[in-house]
Amino acid sequence: MARYFVRRLFAAVVLVAVVSSAALLLTSVAPGDFASELFGSGVSAASIAAERARYGLDRPVASQYFDWIGRAARLDFGVSLVYHRPVAELVRQRAANTALLALAALLLATFLGLPAGIITGSRRRGLAVSAIRGASIVLLSLPSLITSLVLVLLAARTGWLPTGGMQSAGAWDGGMLAGLADLAWHLPLPVLAIALPLAAMIERVQSQSLGSVLKMPFALATLARGVPRSRLVWRDAWRPSVGPVAALYGFILGSLLSGSFVVEVVTSWPGLGRLMYDALRARDLFLVAGCAAAGSIFLAVGSLISDLIQAWADPRVRQRADERRAGAAA
Amino acid sequence: MRIAAAVALALIVLVALAAPALAPHDPGETYRAFLSAPPMRPHVVASTGAWRWPFVHPLKLVSRLEQRYEEDTSREVPLAFFSGGKLLRLSDERDGPWLPLGADREGRDALARLLFGARVSLGVAGLSTLAALLIGALAGGLAGFYGGLADEAIMRIAEFVLVLPAIYVVLALRAAMPLVLPSWAVFSLMAGIFGLVGWPWVARSVRSVVATERTRDYASAAVSLGAGPARVLFVHLLPASRGVIATQAILLLPSFILAEATLSYVGLGFPDTVPSWGSMLHEASNVNAIADSPWTLAPAAAIFLVTLAANMLVEETT
Amino acid sequence: MVTAAALAFAACWSGERRAAGKPPVKALVSSIRAEPRTFNRYAGRDSVLEIVASLTQAKLVRIDRRTQELEPWLAESWTTSADGLVYTIKLRQGITFSDGVPFTSADVVFAFKAIYDEKTGSALGESMRVGGQPLVVTAPDPATVVVRFPSPFGPGIRLLDNLAILPRHKLEAALKAGTLAKAWDVSTPPSEIVGLGPFVLASYQPGQRLVFERNPRYWRTDARGGRLPILDRLTLEIVPDQNAEILALESGQIDFTQTEMRPEDYATLKRAAEQKKVSLVDLGVGLDADTFWLNLRPNRPPVVQHLWLLRAELRRAISHAVDRTAFAETVFLGAAVPVFGPITPGNPRWYSPDLPRFEYDPAAARRLLAGLGLSDRDRDGVLRDRTGAPAGFTIVTQRGNTALERGAGFIAEELKKVGLSAEVAPLEVGALIDRIVRGDYDAVYYRFLTTDLDPALNIDLWISSGSAHVWNPSQVKPATDWERQIDDLMKRQVASLDLAQRKALFDQVQRIVADEQPMIQFAAPKITLATSTRVVGATPALLRPSILWNPDGLGVK
Repeated sequence: MARYFVRRLFAAVVLVAVVSSAALLLTSVAPGDFASELFGSGVSAASIAAERARYGLDRPVASQYFDWIGRAARLDFGVSLVYHRPVAELVRQRAANTALLALAALLLATFLGLPAGIITGSRRRGLAVSAIRGASIVLLSLPSLITSLVLVLLAARTGWLPTGGMQSAGAWDGGMLAGLADLAWHLPLPVLAIALPLAAMIERVQSQSLGSVLKMPFALATLARGVPRSRLVWRDAWRPSVGPVAALYGFILGSLLSGSFVVEVVTSWPGLGRLMYDALRARDLFLVAGCAAAGSIFLAVGSLISDLIQAWADPRVRQRADERRAGAAA
Repeated sequence: MRIAAAVALALIVLVALAAPALAPHDPGETYRAFLSAPPMRPHVVASTGAWRWPFVHPLKLVSRLEQRYEEDTSREVPLAFFSGGKLLRLSDERDGPWLPLGADREGRDALARLLFGARVSLGVAGLSTLAALLIGALAGGLAGFYGGLADEAIMRIAEFVLVLPAIYVVLALRAAMPLVLPSWAVFSLMAGIFGLVGWPWVARSVRSVVATERTRDYASAAVSLGAGPARVLFVHLLPASRGVIATQAILLLPSFILAEATLSYVGLGFPDTVPSWGSMLHEASNVNAIADSPWTLAPAAAIFLVTLAANMLVEETT
Repeated sequence: MVTAAALAFAACWSGERRAAGKPPVKALVSSIRAEPRTFNRYAGRDSVLEIVASLTQAKLVRIDRRTQELEPWLAESWTTSADGLVYTIKLRQGITFSDGVPFTSADVVFAFKAIYDEKTGSALGESMRVGGQPLVVTAPDPATVVVRFPSPFGPGIRLLDNLAILPRHKLEAALKAGTLAKAWDVSTPPSEIVGLGPFVLASYQPGQRLVFERNPRYWRTDARGGRLPILDRLTLEIVPDQNAEILALESGQIDFTQTEMRPEDYATLKRAAEQKKVSLVDLGVGLDADTFWLNLRPNRPPVVQHLWLLRAELRRAISHAVDRTAFAETVFLGAAVPVFGPITPGNPRWYSPDLPRFEYDPAAARRLLAGLGLSDRDRDGVLRDRTGAPAGFTIVTQRGNTALERGAGFIAEELKKVGLSAEVAPLEVGALIDRIVRGDYDAVYYRFLTTDLDPALNIDLWISSGSAHVWNPSQVKPATDWERQIDDLMKRQVASLDLAQRKALFDQVQRIVADEQPMIQFAAPKITLATSTRVVGATPALLRPSILWNPDGLGVK
């Protein structure tokens, strides 16, 4: 098991390194830089040159890059040019916001999608089944960009929900509870935008997987013994059918970050995606690289979790991993 | 259902191809007097209650600053088929153009932009799909055919690309280019980037098919009859995977349309002057614009339709 | 389900919150669009820093932004020598900084030392010079400061309106160590940042907000002796996106913004005004007209081949070709007036209504272009130069600013009508500025923010050696005869102590500019500010910061 983790860890480190260096290099070769942004406020050309020198932006790209790599290896990701704060600190704050959004969306999607999938997977016909199937194929075709725009339209027209942001100004003045309530008030819009297509995806996979489990000999035999179908579904068939859904979670965890990007931009959610977007536009080099690194860490952790879920749901996966390891050892 | 979805997709492509004839106006033409004008509904019943040949009431500016317009119900301008090389337009545009979907904030005909935008959006998505299919089929085919080290190497690369946070990669790649590029450059750049991000999906499914098919009798027979590896791969094995390739294509197309929309929405894709569904949605980044003129979301509806049709096609196939 | 529960929770909690009875904290929330880069007024120069300084610091004299009159501030009174070169300033007594340390003339002397310090490289130091020479400041006693100008200077001590007096006891060590430019950066603990202003910085949460609390040691009281500032707290939310800002204003999350309303937001805000959520303040015609200019640097590669790009006839033709009335209606949705020069009617003291104008006249534009040797030989509506290449240029403008993008598009269309092919390239603001600085452009359409009404305080724009002389900056000697004339006139204008004479000289400058058209203005927007109806005591002015220039009288209903 330890060997397996070391391998995974190594792959994750490579991923993080490649993604963040690529981001850094790509951003630094792009035209215009952070210092030129300053000019909008009427600073003289000499002060801009000084500013550029202060951040080392006047040096060749390669030497900037190797400098950064050297420091990043010691977990020092530099200082944001815009915020004058350590990148690590900024990224940590924003990543927490994204994680909150992603987690809430994942929970909601699971609560909606899993039961719905079990219903459509266990029955063949019925109004509920066709309604769910119809809804799910529609939702599947409503990507987060569009869902969030439509939800923003609804919110703007009805005033039921805030159209963006994560917190109202001064929300925490009323104490902890008031602050949390305000947060909860801002959550539904972005969460729904992310969760709805995911729920549909989970429903589809769960439905198919349960359908195939129910066709297995053991299921047919149980039914033949006179066990009610509902009991079979909820007690026996559900757990073995979770495998494909668990595999899906790996994919979802990976795509959550990309999925939440556009939602964060549309609804001004102060998360990692929004941070990277703003950093890109401000040409805040180190912050861009830091965000990309954080994004890839997100992914690596996501796929690890999904592997663990899969192992829990289906003992065969664990076994296969063991065998692979044995093979590798030999 | 499946036929309906296929027909819908085909129709959308047809509409895109026929845009110059279907759109009442040039998508770049600006009507300064009609900034953010609302859609103009055709009427068939006159104020007197009598039936008429379809007509519209010309718009009357109520407040320029608030961009409010009203239908001038005292006047009726009939629509005309096949006039001026267009399918349907006003017989007389002296009182202003017919804007079936309203105008954007620059005063351009939104329907014309939607139709011409379909060409751009579908074009980018189609080209990217093609690129992804080509790279993916080739890589997957080689990996499945040769197995061993080649398989291992190609599939590791594919997995690596798959786990990359796609949108960040696209953003970073896009950011490395000058922000303002000629539209053809944006077009090919996007197609290239999307293709590079999308190929592993194809490669994975093609590889699994090829790897299975390779061991089948007909493949071994081909080899023993002296067919070279290239011939076996391209003539026998890849055609066997055309089913999965088609499925992947149908899945990739809408996701590339969406990718274009996302990039243009955040201002890193097509500039405003090129009508695409994404660059049209860019206007919707102002929430008040959405609330006051919901028709700016028309491209979102178009994207939804394409995605829905594609999903239904795949759903019914599997 | 989760969402529904959260909603129910939020709903019942907000009810409970209102019931809780604490003594009301008088607080307002405003917004800024960018992060602060530093809290040190001597080290930087941007709009956020200016607001922070206006809240937390004070200066010797203040220009009332509405009346343009100079008012005593930390200076109680002053006398002027007969030659107008020496000002003797009496300081207010009994004033302390927010940490309790008394304010004396030593702080004023320190302020001048700091901005003229070479290592600090203060941008303020550049603008606080007269004819390139620093002012000489001495302190005969703790309550008196003597300021000596190196040469006669028309605006006089209005110049000191720029200079916030920072605490010597906090910053002198840094100045001596040569690190003043880095002192008071944004990671400084807020308690270190003391000042003479109505508020003190309480906290800075990067990416989110700046919170200011009232300075209990503030030295001013209102006319009836009531305590100032009225507010207990002022929060500046950091909202980079203008759309989000408007939404927050509309929903009451913020009380006012720093920028005026965009024309496209009018419908939304008018609706909010009808619901009594916000009130709209009409400030009349603004100070900043959008400016179009051609790159007049003589040695750029394209210019060497196309010398007509440098000719005044081209600029006059462009000015003739644009219908300014339609421009105001389309680009600003009618919320603007046509203008023909850089000084708008919003600046009545320096505005000159009877300057020569290039009225809308496409025929005249075509004649002028024909005189440049540009002709439409193949009758395709496109003018070509002698080599047969289409006559045209690219207009760069700021991306994301709808009025600018629309304006640039409008200009290009109008030029097309007279046969010039102009293309519009919107750039991110950083890339745009980079190009302007490097001179890598044909034409720019942009909006500069006016920082001072008196042209003598904007001297960098007018004289050919100035760094803000945008069409051909920092010239060693004037490239053209008319630029030399402007240089001479402006030098006299700055040195004159007689307002009428200064006005007459500046009118001559404006006349030359109106004739040569190095920068072309089309319309000046009418400015409307929106504040929430909770705000009382605001004194909005055209010059930025529109509301926060006078923060101590702000209150809440």
